[in-house]
Amino acid sequence: MAADASVPTLANRLQRPSVVGLLGVVVVGGAAALLLKNLTVAPSRFFEVTLIGLTTGCVYALVALGYTLVYGILELINFAHGDVFMLGGMFTITYSTHFFGLHHGQGPATILIVFATLVLAMLSCGLINATIEFIAYRPLRGAPRLAPLITAIGVSFIIQDIGLAWKGPNYITAPDVFPHSRVFSFHGVDYGWNKLIVVVITIPVLLGLLWLVQQTRQGKAMRATAQDKDAAAIMGINVNRTISFTFLIAGALAGAAGLCYSLYVTTVRFDQGFQLGLIAFTAAVLGGIGNLPGAVLGAVLIGLIQTWNEGLPWHMPGSDWTQSIVFSILILILVFRPEGLLGERTPEGG
Amino acid sequence: MSSSSNGNGTPILELSDVHTYYGSIHALKGISIEVHDGEIVTLLGANGAGKSTTLRSINGLNRPRQGKISFQGRDITTVAAHEIVKRGIAQSPEGRRLFPRMSVIENLEMGAFQRSDRSEIRGDMDRVFELFPRLHERRNQKAGTMSGGEQQMCAIGRALMARPKLLLLDEPSLGLAPIFVERIFDIIKQINDQGTSILLVEQNALMALDAADRGYVLETGRIVLADKAAALKTNEQVRKTYLGET
Ligand SMILES: Nc1ncnc2c1ncn2[C@@H]1O[C@H](COP(=O)(O)OP(=O)(O)OP(=O)(O)O)[C@@H](O)[C@H]1O
Ligand SMILES: [Mg+2]
Repeated sequence: MAADASVPTLANRLQRPSVVGLLGVVVVGGAAALLLKNLTVAPSRFFEVTLIGLTTGCVYALVALGYTLVYGILELINFAHGDVFMLGGMFTITYSTHFFGLHHGQGPATILIVFATLVLAMLSCGLINATIEFIAYRPLRGAPRLAPLITAIGVSFIIQDIGLAWKGPNYITAPDVFPHSRVFSFHGVDYGWNKLIVVVITIPVLLGLLWLVQQTRQGKAMRATAQDKDAAAIMGINVNRTISFTFLIAGALAGAAGLCYSLYVTTVRFDQGFQLGLIAFTAAVLGGIGNLPGAVLGAVLIGLIQTWNEGLPWHMPGSDWTQSIVFSILILILVFRPEGLLGERTPEGG
Repeated sequence: MSSSSNGNGTPILELSDVHTYYGSIHALKGISIEVHDGEIVTLLGANGAGKSTTLRSINGLNRPRQGKISFQGRDITTVAAHEIVKRGIAQSPEGRRLFPRMSVIENLEMGAFQRSDRSEIRGDMDRVFELFPRLHERRNQKAGTMSGGEQQMCAIGRALMARPKLLLLDEPSLGLAPIFVERIFDIIKQINDQGTSILLVEQNALMALDAADRGYVLETGRIVLADKAAALKTNEQVRKTYLGET
């Protein structure tokens, strides 16, 4: 938010890095051509991969929103956020199998158990995230920005170690309870319930969040606190409580993402949050960090780009290159549109 | 002059021997101030004298390390900033501090954040728009994109939306064209006539002393003069230092 103060105008942005600019055009043009070629070579495969990409994008969106919410209110990149998401996956397995005895083929009871697990996972991750803020970030509120940033990286490692100690170094499996039967079929491509369920869980959560931030009193307090903490305080807003609440919500979103991801992919490992967290963070920056719809848009785009890259048949770089591609996008965005796709530039640099 | 310029009875606001620090910087070195019900009291002083710090001590943003602040007879020295406005103290702070990405209407609504009488807020907003017709024209504009003067009006309006018993104003005339300065002081007197006590920090000492009942002069964290406004206006030291006379 504060970094926007010296955003170059479009004109001098275009003439300044001319070599880089050309490179950008070549990359984007090449990617578009590659996608078009794939679309004509294997249209049904393209369609199928796109649907998978949307599902992946939904999970990324839930995580990306957590980054963007916390950044919006504290201007802190909460590196531990991806690991809270990972814990969400572990909680999902623990609650659903150990508490509720969930396993494949329980019929309608599955829905109830998954819903109860969702609520518990969201609650657990929310509380953990708020606790992290209270213990690790609040004492550093007035410190130079590097201090909480380093702390966040430290917290990230601590959570990974906790995950390692809790569930061990190997992949653990979640019950495969999302039905794989098809919802619809299009040109020979099946769209499975397991994908739809992820979308069905994600969309109400996203809409709920937007409603919370834009319409409620608590949301108003969050927006005011994000824009000016002292001013918010003299309006009668309890700033510390509002920040705790923001971390609670961000954590709950990570918990929901953890459930979706673990039941969809059916595996969880202690270091899974790190990589996915970085991707989700990139999505948040792509959409415009601090901007909620931007995080969703960025996440869906990254989800699509990733699955197109990994799933399309005709000369795509493949999964070895996914990380490089995602971070190249991050660099391109930072060069050409530092405020992100939907981020706005304001006079205050907000 | 305000309607009740007597200064008798127990004060609505009382600071006694307040010491406030920024880290190790001793910004207020034992300040004692009183504001009585219905009064306009002005706080004069050079840059860095501690005027804004005094206001930040009252509204809870900088808790004094020593001394006592009471409002309406109750000790508020250690009351949290977000509780102060509920007690009846609102502020238009130094630098205006609007919410830049909220519209004028949303900013005014934030001023009424802690109120529960939802039905009367609408009417209060209309009253603010009557005081500042310009704000009404700009009601849907983002506060951060308004001119300095417009933002100043919005900050005062936002403070009024809290229905305060005591209004703290930090340099309300800063950056305003002369014609607007007069208008702001008219409005300050109008607000005061409707029963709100006012503690006014000003660079424009002449206008402030004209509007105020009493005044204090601050110098590097200490009160060096305290008197009726009319008396301060004729005080030689004040005339030299703050009214620009030779
Ligand atoms: N955040 C801060 N950190 C450190 N010192 C501060 C801070 N804010 C103010 N001070 C110091 O405290 C003293 C009083 O400052 P204050 O802002 O109250 O002055 P003021 O009378 O309002 O001045 P002005 O007319 O310039 O607004 C000054 O010496 C100032 O340098
Ligand atoms: Mg000041």
